[in-house]
Amino acid sequence: MTFRKTMTAAVALSTALATTQPAWAADGVTFGVLVPLTGELGEFGKIVADAVQLGVDEINAAGGTKCGPVSIAVADTGGSAEQAIREANKMIDSEGVVAILGPASGEMVALVDLAKRKKTPMMSPYAGTITLNEIGGDYVYRTVSSDLGDGAASGLWLTEKGYKSVAFLVQNEESTISPAQVAKEAVEAAGIELTDFIVYNPGQPSYQAELISVLSHNPDAIYLAGGQESGVTVLKEAAAGGFEGEWLLTADLAVPEVFETLDPRILNDRAYVEIAEADSSLPEFKAFSQLTMDKTGKAPGPFAANSYDMAMLSAIALEAADACTGEALNAKLRGVTEGGEKVSTFAAAKEAIAAGTDVDYEGASGPLTLDESGTPAGAYMVKKATDGAWVDETFYPASAFE
Amino acid sequence: MIYSLILTTLMFGAMFSVLTVSLNLQYARGGMINFGTVAYFAAGAYAYAIVTQEPPSGLDQYALGLNAPWWIGFIAAGIAAMVFAVITGWPTLRLRGEYLALTTFAFAEVFHSILLNERRIGNGSVGMANVERPDPAVLGLDDTLAYTAAACVLMLLTAWVFHRLLASPYGRLVDATHNDEIAAESVGKNTARVRLQIFVISAIPIGFAGALYAMITTLVAPALFTAEVTFFVWIALALGGERTILGAILGTMALVFFQEAVRMIPFETVRSAQIAASVEEVITGILFIIVLRWQPWDRLARKATT
Repeated sequence: MTFRKTMTAAVALSTALATTQPAWAADGVTFGVLVPLTGELGEFGKIVADAVQLGVDEINAAGGTKCGPVSIAVADTGGSAEQAIREANKMIDSEGVVAILGPASGEMVALVDLAKRKKTPMMSPYAGTITLNEIGGDYVYRTVSSDLGDGAASGLWLTEKGYKSVAFLVQNEESTISPAQVAKEAVEAAGIELTDFIVYNPGQPSYQAELISVLSHNPDAIYLAGGQESGVTVLKEAAAGGFEGEWLLTADLAVPEVFETLDPRILNDRAYVEIAEADSSLPEFKAFSQLTMDKTGKAPGPFAANSYDMAMLSAIALEAADACTGEALNAKLRGVTEGGEKVSTFAAAKEAIAAGTDVDYEGASGPLTLDESGTPAGAYMVKKATDGAWVDETFYPASAFE
Repeated sequence: MIYSLILTTLMFGAMFSVLTVSLNLQYARGGMINFGTVAYFAAGAYAYAIVTQEPPSGLDQYALGLNAPWWIGFIAAGIAAMVFAVITGWPTLRLRGEYLALTTFAFAEVFHSILLNERRIGNGSVGMANVERPDPAVLGLDDTLAYTAAACVLMLLTAWVFHRLLASPYGRLVDATHNDEIAAESVGKNTARVRLQIFVISAIPIGFAGALYAMITTLVAPALFTAEVTFFVWIALALGGERTILGAILGTMALVFFQEAVRMIPFETVRSAQIAASVEEVITGILFIIVLRWQPWDRLARKATT
C-alpha cells in the first residue's frame, strides 16, 4: 500500500510539473558562456570567458543591442558532455539566454540536437571537430576552422621545414586524431619518412612505453598532438630519454603555462606549436590586441580573438534580427558574416544596420564568412619557443590551402 | 529556475535511480558487490547507438550502424546488458565479497578500454554523435518534460517489477540465498543459479537506462562511461540506505539535487563560476559525511515502509 502511495505521488508530481511554466524578466539579453573551467581544457575556458566578457563590455559601451544591454551567465562544463547538456538546459530554461557561447568539441557535438530543439544558437571558438563539418550549420556555428585545416597546416609546415624523418605521437581523442591523420597524409605525400604513428591513451603516469620505439628511430622531429597533462609528461620523458630533435606541438600546448611546468631548455629554440590564429597584421586584430592589453595588461591568449568575435557576431546578428530571441538571431547570423558593408566593430555595425545597410563583420580573428556547416575558413600560425614564450614564426593565411 | 532545477533533478535522478535500484537488488538483497555497474550502462547505450546509427560514412571508423528505429535500439540495449551480465556473471559469481567487487571493477575497466581502443565498435574516443532519438514534439510534448517523464516511467517500472519480484516466493529464495546459503542449498535450492539470475535480471533495466542516457545526451563516448558513474551510484545507495527501493531512489534524487542546487546560481563572472566548481565537490563531500553520520534518508525511508 505504502509503495503504491509513494509511486502515485511521484506520478502526480511529474504531471503537476507539466502544467507549470517558467518565467523570467525580459530586461536586456543574456549570452550563456558555457566553457570548461576545470579539467584538461580549464585554461582555455577562462581565456574564452574573459574574451567574451571583453566583447560584451565593448557592446554595452556602444549602447548595447536593440534588445537592451548584454549580460553573461557563466557555467563550467568540466569537460563533460553530460554536464554541458544539464547546464545548457538550465541556461535556456531559467536564465533565458539567446545564445550559448564557448563549448569545446565533445560538448558541442552533444549540444547540436538541443540547440535545434530549443532554437538557441551555440557557438564555439575552438571546437575544430570534424563531426561538426557534417552536422553543424543551422543553430550550430564556430568562429574557428575545422581540425582538418589544422592538420593541413601542420603537414605543410613539416614539409616546408625540410625534415627527413618525422614520428607522430597522438593522444587518443578526436580533436587530436583527425588533424594528425591529415598531417600524416601530407607528410607521406611529400616523401618524408614516417618513423612511427603512435596513438596513446591520456591519463598515464608515464609514456615511456610509447617513446621507446619513437626514440629508437631518432627522427628529425616529433609531431605531438597531445593534451596539456599528457603532452608535458611526454616532452619531459623524451628529453630524459635523450631526444635532441625538434618538436611540432598542437594547439592544446600553446598556452604559456607549458613553460612553467617544463624546463624551458626542453622547448627553447626547438619546439614549435601550430595553432589556428588570426593574422596579427590585420588592423582588426591589432585593435583587439591593444584592447586586451589595456584591459588586462596581457597579450591575448589562444582563441581569445575567436571568442571575442563570437560575442560580436551574436550581438550584431541580434541587432539585425526582427526579435530578441535565439531563433531570430539564428536567422541573421550567417547573413552578417558575408555580402555587405565591411564592419569591424559593434558600434560601426549598429550604425550601418540602423541606416538600413547590410553588414559583413570582419573580426579580430579575420574574415568570418561561414560555410554550410557554420565554419569559417582558417588561418594558422606556427609559433616558436623562444626564451620561455611562444613567438610567431610562420603565418599561413586561408589562401595557402586552396 | 526552480522549475528547471526540479526537472533536471527528476530527469537525471530518475535515470540514475534505475541503476541504484538495480544495484540495491544485487547488493542488498542478492549479496553481490558489483563495482562494474557502469559497464552494463555503457553496454546498453552503445547497443542503442549502434542499432539506431546510420551506416558509417566519410571519416567514421565504426564498422556497424543498423539505422533501425529507436524502439528496436531500446530493446537491443536491454538484451546487450543482459548478455553482458551473463558473460561476466557466469565465471565470476562464485567469488564472494571483495573478490567479486574487484573482478567486476576489472571487467568494467577492460570493457571501457575496449570501447576506447577498438574504434570499429563505436569510433573509439571520438564516440558516436547525433544519436537517433524519438521526437516528443510529434505528440505535442515538450522535449525535456517528455524525457523526464520517460526516465520516471522507467524508474517506476523497474521499482515495481523488483518490488513484486522480492515480495513473491522467489524474493524469499533470494533472501535465503543471501542470508544463509548452506541452509538454502540443504533444502534443494540451487543458490548459484539464483545469484546469476538476480545478477542478470538487475542488469536489464541498467541497459534500458543506458539507452535513455544515449537519447538524452545524443552522444555515446567512452569519456561518459567511466568508473565515476559506478561510484556515483554506490554513493547514492549509501546515502539512501540499503535494502529499501525507496531509499535507493531518494538517495539518488538527493545526490543529483545537491549537484544541481549548487550549480543553480547564475554566475556573471568567470571567477565565481570557478569557485563554485571547486566548492561543489567540497559541499557534496560534507553533505555525504553528514548524511552518513545521521542517515536522515534512511530513517525517512524506514518510516515510510512501516
